[in-house]
Order: sequence, then structure tokens, then C-alpha cells
Amino acid sequence: MKKIAKSILILLLVASLLAGCGTSTNQKNETSQTTKEKVVTIDFWAAPNPPQQTFWKQMAEEYAKVNPNIKVNVSPMPESPTSEAGIQAALAGGNAPTISENISRGFAAQLVDSKALIPLDTMDGWNDIVKARNMENTVQSWEFADGHQYVLPIYSNAMLFAWRIDILKQLGYNEPPKTYSQIIELGKKLKEKYPDKYLWANPDLIDSTWWKRWFDFFMLYDAASNGNKFIEGNNFVADDKAGVATLKFLEDMAKNKLILTQKATDPFETGISVWTTIGPWTFNTWKDKYPELKLNETYVLTLPPVPDGMSTDNVKTFADTKGLVIYAQSSPEKQKAAMEFIKWVYSNPENDMKWFEITNLPPARDDVNTNEQFKNYLKDHPELQLYAESIPNAIPPIDNAKFNDIQTLIGQKAVNPVVAGQIDAQKAWDDMKKAIQGVLK
Amino acid sequence: MKKGQEKLGWLFASPYLVYSLIFFVIPLFGALFLSFTNWNLISPQYENVGFLNFIQSVKSPGVKAAFFVTYKFMIIFVPMVLIGSLILSLIIYSLPRFKSFFSVGYFLPYLASGVATSVVVRGILSYNSALNAWLRNTWHLNIDWLGSPILAPLIIAVMISWKFMGYYSLILTSGLESIPGEVYEAAAIDGATGWIKFFKITLPLLYPAMFTVTILAVGLVFGIFTEPYVLTGGGPGFSTNTWQIEIYNQAFSKLNAGYGSAIAIIDSVVTFVTIIIVRKLLEIWGKTYGWE
Repeated sequence: MKKIAKSILILLLVASLLAGCGTSTNQKNETSQTTKEKVVTIDFWAAPNPPQQTFWKQMAEEYAKVNPNIKVNVSPMPESPTSEAGIQAALAGGNAPTISENISRGFAAQLVDSKALIPLDTMDGWNDIVKARNMENTVQSWEFADGHQYVLPIYSNAMLFAWRIDILKQLGYNEPPKTYSQIIELGKKLKEKYPDKYLWANPDLIDSTWWKRWFDFFMLYDAASNGNKFIEGNNFVADDKAGVATLKFLEDMAKNKLILTQKATDPFETGISVWTTIGPWTFNTWKDKYPELKLNETYVLTLPPVPDGMSTDNVKTFADTKGLVIYAQSSPEKQKAAMEFIKWVYSNPENDMKWFEITNLPPARDDVNTNEQFKNYLKDHPELQLYAESIPNAIPPIDNAKFNDIQTLIGQKAVNPVVAGQIDAQKAWDDMKKAIQGVLK
Repeated sequence: MKKGQEKLGWLFASPYLVYSLIFFVIPLFGALFLSFTNWNLISPQYENVGFLNFIQSVKSPGVKAAFFVTYKFMIIFVPMVLIGSLILSLIIYSLPRFKSFFSVGYFLPYLASGVATSVVVRGILSYNSALNAWLRNTWHLNIDWLGSPILAPLIIAVMISWKFMGYYSLILTSGLESIPGEVYEAAAIDGATGWIKFFKITLPLLYPAMFTVTILAVGLVFGIFTEPYVLTGGGPGFSTNTWQIEIYNQAFSKLNAGYGSAIAIIDSVVTFVTIIIVRKLLEIWGKTYGWE
């Protein structure tokens, strides 16, 4: 009996010790909310990169000056080991922040499926934000299958291709080719003149990691299908003809040895390849590391190529776009405060201008090309012009909760084996379609 | 043992026991529970799916690949690291002075970050590295080191061997130092030369240390993650897809916590069985030659 009593006492001591570790932060938060004249503290997880951290910290500081009753704690999103896993762990442990940014459409779908997000359109102030930010058209493509809006898109990158125009000129081209057959022809001329150079150096083409398909397959497929959806709800609705054409293009490039899948250090920048996918975040790196790369002198930017016979105007491309969400786990008081903060940030276009300046990522607004502030900025940064112009032609990622499996299968069943020369485009498409339909069942 | 001493023993052991309970036993039971559910850790609802996760795991190409890739690594890595660390320990043992200095030197790779060394190796093997440029220009050889399903596992095995050789050589060096010098002297009187001494004296008397190193190396193979994750992502194909990469992809990338846990449980069973088999084989081998 004595032994049992001792054991219980030890267990209680250990449990109270551990429990003490767990409640300290909550107690602290509660105190800050009750004693400091009802100050509501909200936690904001920003993307773990310096520019985005800088922007949100600046916003939080400025907001504190005009609204002392809401305190915004900005901290980097934990990447343990990925930002998605960090959020998953926080939600599982009941420690989710009030708001986080850097949420892709696919991950948002997964969170919606798990009832972890608040439908923003049901909250007071949503319509005001959409109107004040001039983003009525942009948010339409972010609507989820249940008709609600769970994500406020922050930026939208219409992904582009870059061409080494200096090398193209040596091959007799004054502008980059726009169709598949023109590109293959250019590739052949390139190999003839420079056997060690490649059209496209991209090791990701033989890697099945899901997100890598955003920057190869989806860019080409969105262009070839004129923006036809790939998945709608739980149905595979992809354009078969466009899909096979996309894979055939990859197959033709691989057959003609125009693709380098071996890992190389900065192959486009060093002139090993003449074509690459490119996002606006690259230019700051180039400024420091490759100052010799100049728009319209050494490189030009274009939308993706299209199959032969297709119009080369208004070509669609993939939109690398992410946004912010409010978590259902936080208290209604905090959710309301979060909405107030978001409303304050996005009711002033100058804040979007600051975002653009700090991050180089075009704000997800309808007026990036028409608003005078943005126009002036784009005049000084011509390399961002085409990104801004192409926003209306950019197709957001698929919003199915099984996005990861689907995009992994596109790699495993289609892109990877076609580029490796293991199967032809038609068989790859059929295999992939069957496998994806199996996942969607 | 006196009652007071017993208590003191438990007290001293308690930090480790509490640590094991919190970070090993509880998570193990947690993983076991998760492996029978379809929970993603976020959703408020989940179902008990019985053995479905285990059945799907066994059928999955990723898990099948992880199973075979691990044994492939074992075949390449274990002999490589054993021979390498044995050579290192013999070198250190035969040094007339500065033994500790060289031991520490060889041990340093063990402390190096796997990510950092992988990034360096990726640079060395990239298409436009000095090595590849030289191979192309001089020998007209264009080798896709990390894109080949044969070379990629070999490179990873070499990297891990490099990292662990110094560590294992410390164990072997202490084994060598425990061999009495008289044995060698007696053998020399009988006319034994260098290689005979090595095979007839050194190796058999080093058996306990070799046993430890072999078991450690076999266990290590099941934990390979950083190098293939950074260098190949488990590819090309599934040629470097280890258990840890598969578990990582399922649990942290696809957020299938239940399914990922099932794979982790299978992995732990396979690891346990393999180590038991290897241990038995080593014991039989030792007994056969009277090395124990």
C-alpha cells in the first residue's frame, strides 16, 4: 500500500512538472489579454524567408501604433521538417497560430477537408477587403468546391520561361520560338553548333516530388489546354489531347537529347542551357551573383510554348500563388481581431506596394497593371512587367485534398518515365490518368 | 544489494528512464495507435481502419523499394565501412606517436552535418563541376553520377562510409590495443609473418569489436535519410528510396500520419528481425572458428 502511494505521488509530481511546461505560454497569453485593457494578442506565422518576415513585422508594428488593442506577434513559420508539417504538428498539439500565410491552394484544400480553417467569406469584413483591395476577379479562382473562400491570396506569380537571347542570336534567332516544333528545331541547331549545351537543364524532370510539377508539367499543360482544369471536385477533367501533346513535347526533347537531367550549378546563368522556368524571386539573386544578365540583352522572358497550330496570343500559364488563412482552432475573439488586422493591411494599396518592393512578388490584385503606383514601380522594374501582365492568364494550382498524391503520380507515371525515355507520351498519359482516377475514387 | 543502494540506482537511472518513456515508449505506442487509423493529426474525425494501412504499405511500390534499397545499401555499405574502418584502425594502431591526434582527425567527419556534406558532394558531381569538365574534356566521359540507379546508391554508401569510418575505427583501435603483445611474440617465434599474424591473430581477437561495429553498421542502414534526401530525393526511380525517406514522404509531405506510422512499424520490425539474423550469423561464424 505504501509502495502504491509512493508511486502515485511520484507520478503526480512528474505529471505536474510536465503539465507546468505546457501551460506556461497559455497563462502568459491569458494575462496579456485580461490585464492590459483587453489587448487581444494574435499569432501570425509568416513564410520563413527574410523579405516576407520583414514585411509582416513592419505591418504589425505600424498596426500597433493605430490599434493598440490588437497585438500581432509575427514569427517565422516552423519548418519541422516542412512548413506544412509544422502547421500539422501545431494543429495536432492545439498550438496553431491565429493566422498564417504561405498557404498553397492544395494544402488549403487539405486543411479545409480537416475542418481546420475558417471560411473567410462568412466573417464580417471579407467583402470590404475584396472591394478595397480590388481583387474581385482574382478571388473567384480561389473559391473552393463548397462555394466558400478559405484563403486570401496574397501574391500571384504567373510563371514564365526565360531564354538566353544572346545565345539564340548566335543561332540566327531574334526572338524565342513559340511553338513545340519551333523549339525542337532550335534545339537541334543548338546541339549542332554547341554539342555541350542543352536546350533545357532541369533535373526536376526525373524527380517525382509533387511540387516540382508546378514548374514544368503544369506550365506546359495550362498553355496547351488553354487553361482547362486538371481536376474538378473529385473528377479527372484534364484535356487528354493537350496532356498527350505536352508529354510528347517532353518526349521529343528527350529523344533529341535537348534536356540535361544531370544536376548542374546555375546552368541557365552560365549558358549551359538556353531555356528555363523562372519566378520573380530570381532577379534579386541575379543582381548580386550574375549582374551581367540583363533583360533584352542576355535574356528575355516569355509565356510557355504551345502545340503547333495553336494561337500564341494570351497563352495561359501556371500561377504560383499563395495566401493567408485563419485557423478554426483560435478563439472567435482572436479570429475577429485577425480579420481586423487583415482588413487594415489590405485596405491601403501602399501596403501592397511595400510588399511588391520588398518581395518582388506581384500582389494578387486585379489592378496591378492599371493602378498608377504599381505601374510606376513596374516601369522601373521591366523584368516584372510580364509577370504582372500575365496574372489574368495564370491558372492556380489544383485544389483537391489529394493534390500531393495526384502530382506525385504525374511525375512517377508520366513526366519522369517519358523524359527518361522509358515509355511514350500516349501510354504515359493513359497510365497516369488511370492511377489518378484510382486515387480520386 | 541493500535497499538504499537499490533506490539510489533507480534514482541515477531515472533521467534516462523518464527520457526513454517520453521520447521512445510513449511515441512508440502513439505510432502503433496511429497505424490502425486514417488520421492526419488535424482532422477532428478519423476512423479505425484495422490492418488496411499495413496491407497498403506492403503493396506500395515505395515501401517495396525501401525494403530492397536498404538491403542493397547493406551489401555495399557494411563491407565498405568495415574494411575502411579496419584499415584506419590498423594505421592508427601502428602509428609510433600522435595516435590521439589522428583518431580525432578521422572522427571529425562523424560530426559533420549530413546536409552540408551532401551539398558539397552535389557540387563536386554537378554537370559543370571541375571533375566532370575534366572527364568530358580529357576522356570524353559524361557521367550522370546521381542520375544513375547504380552509381547513386554507391555514392551515398561511400559518403556514409566516409562519415562513420573514423567513429568505428575508434572501437576497432581499442579492440586492437586489448590484444596482448605476447600473442604476436609467440607467433613470431613460431615463424608467423605479417598476413598470417593478421588473419590468425588480429582478426580473430578483434572479433568482439568487429561484432559491435557490424551490428552498429547494419542498424545504421535502416536510418539512412539525409544524404539520399538532399542528393537524389530517393531517385532515380526508387533506387535510393530508403525507409526513412518513405516514412518522411508519407507522414510529413503527404500528411498521411496513420499510413506513415504503419510504414514506421513495419520498418522497426524489419530492422529488429534483420539485426537478430545478422547477430545470430555472426555468433555462428564466431563459434565455428572459435573466435568468441
